[in-house]
Amino acid sequence: MNQYASLLIALPLFSAFFIPILKRISKNAVMPFLAFVTLIQTGIAALVFKEVYTTGKPIIVLAGGFKPPVGINLYIGHFAALFVLVIAAVSFLMALFSIKAVSIEPKDKYAMLFLLLMLGATGMISTGDIFNLFVFMEITAISAYALTAYNKTGEASEAALKYVVLGGVGSSFFLVGIALIYGSLGTLNMAHIAQLAGLINPTAAKVGLALLIFGLAVEAEQFPLNAWAPDAYQEAPHPVTAMFSAFVVKASLYAIGRILYILSAAEGWSSILRLLIILGTLTVILGEMSALRQTNVKRMFAYSSIAQVGLIAVGLALGTAAGVSASVFHMFNHAIVKALMFLAVGYVAVELGGAEIDKFEGLGKRMPVTAFAITVGAISIIGIPLFNVFWSKIQLILAALSAQYTWVVALILGASLVEATYYIRLIHAIWFKGEGEKVKENTVLVLAMLLLAALIIVVGIYPEPFWDIMQKAGSDIFDVAQYVKNVPLMGVNP
Amino acid sequence: MVKRILAIVFILIIGLWMAKALDQVPFGEDRMLVGKYYLEHVKEETGAVNAVTAVVVNYRGFDTLGEVTVLFIASTGVAALLWRNRRKRTAKTEGSVVLTTGARLLLPFIMLFGAYIFIHGHLTPGGGFPGGATIATAFLFLYLAFTVYEIDHRIFEPLEGLAGIGYVTVGLIGLAIGGYFLFDWIWQTWGLGKENIGRLLSAGFIPIIYTLIGIKVGTELTGIVDNMVKEPEEGGQ
Amino acid sequence: MNPYYFASIALILIGFYAVLVKRNVIKMLVGLSIMETGVNLLLISVGYVSGKSAPILSEGITPDKAVDPIPQALVLTAIVIGVATTALALSVVINLYEKYKTLNVEEIRRLRG
Repeated sequence: MNQYASLLIALPLFSAFFIPILKRISKNAVMPFLAFVTLIQTGIAALVFKEVYTTGKPIIVLAGGFKPPVGINLYIGHFAALFVLVIAAVSFLMALFSIKAVSIEPKDKYAMLFLLLMLGATGMISTGDIFNLFVFMEITAISAYALTAYNKTGEASEAALKYVVLGGVGSSFFLVGIALIYGSLGTLNMAHIAQLAGLINPTAAKVGLALLIFGLAVEAEQFPLNAWAPDAYQEAPHPVTAMFSAFVVKASLYAIGRILYILSAAEGWSSILRLLIILGTLTVILGEMSALRQTNVKRMFAYSSIAQVGLIAVGLALGTAAGVSASVFHMFNHAIVKALMFLAVGYVAVELGGAEIDKFEGLGKRMPVTAFAITVGAISIIGIPLFNVFWSKIQLILAALSAQYTWVVALILGASLVEATYYIRLIHAIWFKGEGEKVKENTVLVLAMLLLAALIIVVGIYPEPFWDIMQKAGSDIFDVAQYVKNVPLMGVNP
Repeated sequence: MVKRILAIVFILIIGLWMAKALDQVPFGEDRMLVGKYYLEHVKEETGAVNAVTAVVVNYRGFDTLGEVTVLFIASTGVAALLWRNRRKRTAKTEGSVVLTTGARLLLPFIMLFGAYIFIHGHLTPGGGFPGGATIATAFLFLYLAFTVYEIDHRIFEPLEGLAGIGYVTVGLIGLAIGGYFLFDWIWQTWGLGKENIGRLLSAGFIPIIYTLIGIKVGTELTGIVDNMVKEPEEGGQ
Repeated sequence: MNPYYFASIALILIGFYAVLVKRNVIKMLVGLSIMETGVNLLLISVGYVSGKSAPILSEGITPDKAVDPIPQALVLTAIVIGVATTALALSVVINLYEKYKTLNVEEIRRLRG
């Protein structure tokens, strides 16, 4: 069974290459085909998830049949199994949404780019080799550049240009980091690097690690390299924005976490942790401050999303198992909530012609289910109990306290307060202002929104089973010794 | 002015920082770890004499699959962004006699050379990517020489998709026969060409994959050139 | 500091300078290209072993007389990725020019408001 997990990569690839041929047969079959493929991907991901969590052992896919570090291996441990499922499920919902929301041609190219964006994120979290991580990161990034500019308006092109330039600079620095790590150690396999990390010279380790994190920080939307994010989120097609926020940024955050902990045996590691905490904090502060001033709801949600990923980075940089697990829980919760919110906002924009806050007045009467969805999402992000984000924020606070970073607690509480301000303002506009007549809401989308909202509430009321899974996923990243033991490294010393 | 000075100071700091780190990676020293293993075992495990090719296609074939995908995304992205309802070429200057005659004469040779590069990828430097780029150059030549020339997207796009499917299928056959995705079933299971190391018919599936990559890259780059050269028709949108 | 490392760092810094300071979009993209070239040069230089030659094991080149093949494979991939990024960036610029009729980043930013 194990090697069949490589279908997670082969299936989207095959389907994406198949679409030009499908287009010649029947043009209208492309979008339903997209939904079909993402559904199958969700099924395979669910099987992989079951396998990893029932046996407790990670699935190691050996590409080419060569053992690492000679060959490239995929490491589908607890974290990857969980998030591959999240990616596939969110992609499926967004594929359904795309049928309604994307009307700009050429749709077949949109479907191909969509599949490859999903593939890139899946690959980033499953791989066990840093250069392979780079390749999948580029797959994700270049699909993202193309999808950001897809609407072909002037604003979309400008957003895409900012993204391309920052992304290009980021990947160049990432490669310099790889050059340093490879030059010092001679291997590219993550487990092998973790084994040899004690031997690496401190200067090379510090600079290399910093460059790697800077390269990933562009995709992970950390300050100061996240200038592209608000524009790109605003101008990209609505399903794509949801995908960016739900999993593209999470894959990069995972990569930062993984690389950080692999090199934890190197000297000078703690200074990199401090650097990351500072960057994460600045991201949160600037994100919340900017969100307060927005009148376009999609842009406001984008800044709020940036602030949350700043919190995730801070959690990863605490350097403790509790911090990592709390971050993973927050990644999961945030993915669900933001998928729901961008789906809802996108639907409003499609139906009512825009995402400015005045379009949202009276939404409670015009599109009640969508308004309900936005309300659930907004309440949960603030951190109200009985909704999922409350638990992940609590875990982050506990982890910060035990790691003796009391100012992080103040940061989280302060951010929640600011969030409350602008989200309550939005909820007020939706339910207590404006008039309007009811608009027929699409049944499929209504089901999708209710499903996500239900999941938010379920996690909020019964967090224990989910927190259990998150802790296992967190130890996947944090417990490097176990990671190295799980990978069947063969000796290459001559 | 201030911006320039700040930028120069900033990049000088980054440069010094990188230089200090690079001092720890001395130039010209033998630090090979996995590389040594590749050099010693490449002939028997993959059948290729070009170690770089064996690494690219066989040992790290997954990366190459990703790379092929990246180029596919670029070609698709360019086509998606520059898509308009009706587009045509707007070049007005016909190529000179030298250009048109030269293009007609050299076209088959350029294509032959490109094919040579990717078919012999396991023996000489090169491989699928330079080979495909050379083939695209042949088409570029035609674009430069003749103002009415254009490729038929309805042939090139499915061809691109087909070559990509071919690559993934080779990997899936490896999964079916040998149990691992991208397993070199020709070399390791069937053992074809083991007596031919150093000559054309050896090295397992490397020539097959490189041929597929060559076709794919050639059609993709040509497609990109075509998309960029055309402009929207006046009044049409 | 030997010439290869120096040259690659110089290229990276020159490219980065162009990206930061230049106002013409095409020049920014040229700077990005130069950065990527510098990085590729750096990757290959890291793999060089003095006195050894190309890792093609025919005609008298035994495994202990060859340079490291891995960085060369990495650079093959990195070059292609650089080409892909440049191609996509240029088509974005074509669209920008069609909509705003200017290639100056400052003016484009002002038009957005």
